[in-house]
Amino acid sequence: MAETSHDQELSELCDEKPTSLQESSESWVNVTSEFFEAISELELGELLHDELFGLFEAMSAIEMMDPKMDAGMLCNRGNNKHYTFHQAALSGVIKLSNFTAAEIIGIIDSTYACIVSWLEGHNLAQTVFTNLYLHDPNPIEDRTLKMFCVTVHKIIEEIKECIIRASVYEEEDFQSVMYGGYKLQSDITEQKTIAMMREIEEDLHKKTRVKPSVDEMDDEYNDNLALYARIRFTKMFYQVLTMMGRKEQLPTNLQACQRILSNCSEMLQLMIKTINRGDKADEITDHPNVMGFDPMINQRQLPPTLPRYTKIRPRIEALVYMDDLINRFKNVTKITSYTNFHSALDFFMEFSRSSPCILSRSLLQIVYLPTPNRVFGVQNLTDVLKEAARNFIAPPVLMPKNNLLQNHQAKDCIDNFLVHCANFFSTLLQISGHNRARQRDRIAYLFENFAALQDEAERVDSYMHSLSLKSDCPRPHLACFGTWILYHTLRAMVMYLLSGFELELYSVHEYHYIFWYLYEFLYGWLVSAITRADSFIMEQDLHNEAQKSKSGKKSSKSKKRKTLPRPYYLEILMNQALQNICGGFYKALVGFQIDEKIPLPESQFDCEGVRYEHRLYPFSSLITPPPVNYKKFIEMTHHLRYRNNEKLTSEPQYLEGCRHFHQAKTVLERALELNPPQNIVNEINDLMKVVKTNFVVLKLLAGGHKKDSKEPPIFDFSSHQHFPIIKLP
Amino acid sequence: MDPSEKDQRTDHHIITNDEKINENGEVNEAINLKDSPGRQKLRSWLNRRLWIKMTDGRILIGSFLCTDRDANIILGLCAEYLSDNLDLEARTLGLVMVPGRHIVSIHLDV
Repeated sequence: MAETSHDQELSELCDEKPTSLQESSESWVNVTSEFFEAISELELGELLHDELFGLFEAMSAIEMMDPKMDAGMLCNRGNNKHYTFHQAALSGVIKLSNFTAAEIIGIIDSTYACIVSWLEGHNLAQTVFTNLYLHDPNPIEDRTLKMFCVTVHKIIEEIKECIIRASVYEEEDFQSVMYGGYKLQSDITEQKTIAMMREIEEDLHKKTRVKPSVDEMDDEYNDNLALYARIRFTKMFYQVLTMMGRKEQLPTNLQACQRILSNCSEMLQLMIKTINRGDKADEITDHPNVMGFDPMINQRQLPPTLPRYTKIRPRIEALVYMDDLINRFKNVTKITSYTNFHSALDFFMEFSRSSPCILSRSLLQIVYLPTPNRVFGVQNLTDVLKEAARNFIAPPVLMPKNNLLQNHQAKDCIDNFLVHCANFFSTLLQISGHNRARQRDRIAYLFENFAALQDEAERVDSYMHSLSLKSDCPRPHLACFGTWILYHTLRAMVMYLLSGFELELYSVHEYHYIFWYLYEFLYGWLVSAITRADSFIMEQDLHNEAQKSKSGKKSSKSKKRKTLPRPYYLEILMNQALQNICGGFYKALVGFQIDEKIPLPESQFDCEGVRYEHRLYPFSSLITPPPVNYKKFIEMTHHLRYRNNEKLTSEPQYLEGCRHFHQAKTVLERALELNPPQNIVNEINDLMKVVKTNFVVLKLLAGGHKKDSKEPPIFDFSSHQHFPIIKLP
Repeated sequence: MDPSEKDQRTDHHIITNDEKINENGEVNEAINLKDSPGRQKLRSWLNRRLWIKMTDGRILIGSFLCTDRDANIILGLCAEYLSDNLDLEARTLGLVMVPGRHIVSIHLDV
């Protein structure tokens, strides 16, 4: 408050006086020596200021001549003559025609380097718009470069729109503001742009047809080939962006995209191969070094509080980045084959695990839900969720031939519930699109919504239950939707706790209660939720069969179904394995604590209870599973360390840990026998490595290896982002 | 410092001895020490517009808010000019701190 009133006062003060020196040049008096004399009377550390000016305000001042804070400083380095595009063109600093192929290739590659740097979180003015040609493509006489510039404008517009639409970005991911007041070309339509690019591409292609007969290394041929690849790639990249961003006919568009994307990769390989055809490609600089680029051109247009120095990626790195980007796009298009909501959700989570870039994250969002609540733009999210619930636990009310929904009230009740689910699950999908650190933040806030939805699910269940019991074929309906929502809650809880390992938030001395919580509660609950769903499904199958046999159609099909493995067998096994792994870690950590191998914070500054409650605080809004507080934790774990007030030894703990890891190994092996999909096979192999190594380490420890050493063990997360390999130094 | 100035200083000691309390409730030290002529002068310049030339040739114009013994100056509502010629576009910086060692000259708007 003080600050604003202060500012007002200042602005009033300034309004009174002329702001330009020109108007008042006579009124300035040199006070340099007077000033320096006067300040010499001040004491060391004494600040002379007005009563209204506090140190708080002083803190937010920008320090001049500090290269990190003072953006204007860089403008004055060396040659401080900065041409605008038109000045540069007039004075001949940049060409508008008669480019050599090397020049154009250099400009194109440097522009991609700028685009990549922009996508990595820098702002447009310091990256893409340091290219003077992009300030106004119209006067460029060279057709190839002009159309390239126009298409880059289009590409930037498309990327911006797509990222803003998906809105899974934060300031660290993406800068949407454009400083300097540049306008993106919009007078040329999408079709025209593509048509013109195609024309240029075909011309270049014709030139490359004439293969040099003798000399393979013919320069002109290679230059043309390099240009052809760049123009063709730019055209296709733009096409892909527009097609994936379109809300209509998404599934067919995506199919076309897959073909274009593989062509993109081909062109990129060619671009990477011909990168040396570009002007000055071998120089390594922090900023493009070819004609038409001026890193400082927009420097004075930036607000005073912007990150100062933008290093542009080298061309080759940028092209490799583009290649990875195209591969991520290809991955995104695969989402179309996940029609089942649960597998789509898994796909989102799996996609996020590799920390993809903001553009691919955004595309995945807008491809799956191009308009709110319409999956792929063709299916209602509520219907997809209904299907998901039916597949998960087969709630009688959602099954065909069930007449509960003929009751209007029941139908309204289910419809309302599904609408709430749709809102909730689209938020969950959106959260998974954020970067990993922000995801954790957002999940923490989501638990309240989980609690509300659980509550509603349980009420719907009991209402359906009461209706069902009164109907012709009474069937219990308790804990159907409830289990379904609980399952998702538990998965989110596990995700929340595990992400702390990935983001390196926990100290080693905190590990034990995190693993304890996962082992003792979350995975246990998860296994029992899935088991319940499993038995519901089996029951439903039996029920269907009974119905069929009642109607006299005893088909051999139903008999065959019986022999099928339980639908959730793999998932149950995986969670059991993870539970055992967490148990193994927990026991090992207790052992380490008994042996005093884990350094603890200074006791006067430490309170484990506060730490524990803080780590698990987000769970406190949930009712199921009930949050377990610190007191309970101490009660439940005390016996491991003390019996009859006597300190126990660590060996039994290590042995227990061993047993857990061994169990996990057995379960994982069993899971592997079920021929799971490739991503799960990879996961199992990663876990297997952790499990086997830790088993051996704990076995050694149980045998008294390095018992007296107080060296803390090392937790190595290089094999798995959540579960470390224990190493003894 | 010439003798007349020293006299002024002693005179000054007699004139002002009121204590002021700043916004934080602390006794304002500068005033407690009884304003010397230099302090008085600086105080009279507070909130007035300063024109500061820096070692790299840039000109900063803003309201004088705070200074210390090393001539570190805080300017409010500051604008940056690239040269003495103020025809060129100004860049608004807001609140800035100019380290004393980078100051070439100071002008006061009278």
